[in-house]
Amino acid sequence: MSQPKRSDEPIWWALFSAGGVCFAVIIPGLVLTIGLLYPLGLLPEPALSYTRVQSLLHSWWGLPGLILAGSAICLPLFHAMHRVHHGLHDLKLAKGRLAKILCYGLASLLSAVAIFYSGIIA
Amino acid sequence: MQDSAGARRPYLQPLSRSWWLKHSFFLRYMLREATVLPLLFFCGCLLAGLYSLAQGESQYQSWLTFMAQPWVIALNALVLLASLYHAKTFFELFPRVMPLLPAPLMIAGQWLGTIAVALLLLWLFGVIG
Repeated sequence: MSQPKRSDEPIWWALFSAGGVCFAVIIPGLVLTIGLLYPLGLLPEPALSYTRVQSLLHSWWGLPGLILAGSAICLPLFHAMHRVHHGLHDLKLAKGRLAKILCYGLASLLSAVAIFYSGIIA
Repeated sequence: MQDSAGARRPYLQPLSRSWWLKHSFFLRYMLREATVLPLLFFCGCLLAGLYSLAQGESQYQSWLTFMAQPWVIALNALVLLASLYHAKTFFELFPRVMPLLPAPLMIAGQWLGTIAVALLLLWLFGVIG
């Protein structure tokens, strides 16, 4: 009797779920300020100045930068790529191992880049 | 008598690629799934922002210029709408998965979280306070 194979789905689902919380709670305020109000000139000019953002993200041993990268890039990426993975199956565009490896692989790769540039490793 | 295949051969109804267009419930499901496409765009923007910040001030300035392009602002407006639609579906799901309190209370509590983060960011960027 062979042991039943343990599924890896809980890992991807946990990342998907955590990313879903970030997408619902953090992204709306972030896209409102950084993506809309600031470019439209509705925030005070120094709000996103180079020195301000630099010091904001790199204070406290780079923890704010890491929190931003994790909650606004890494986890939402895993959330998005989980839905893309299942969406590809729903639309009969791709299924099987390759699509899964490409989807979660891309999320992992871009997450690593985000953490690298968040300023925690510098 | 033994079947040559040795196993049952269930009938699988062929599913067309446009199955989700046939019912509004499926359409709303696909719309919710599609909210991640604008999200991917915004994640890419933020990633580019972090990268440009590490490259220096002139690169960061050109990132800010990119973010102010009309088509980028338009896409980010779509990101906001998508995130709010996702939030609505996500918040309604939580009380069904884990019914701790009356559902309307749990949904309202989660919206308060979203509003609190937005207010915190507005305060951080000097609009309020």
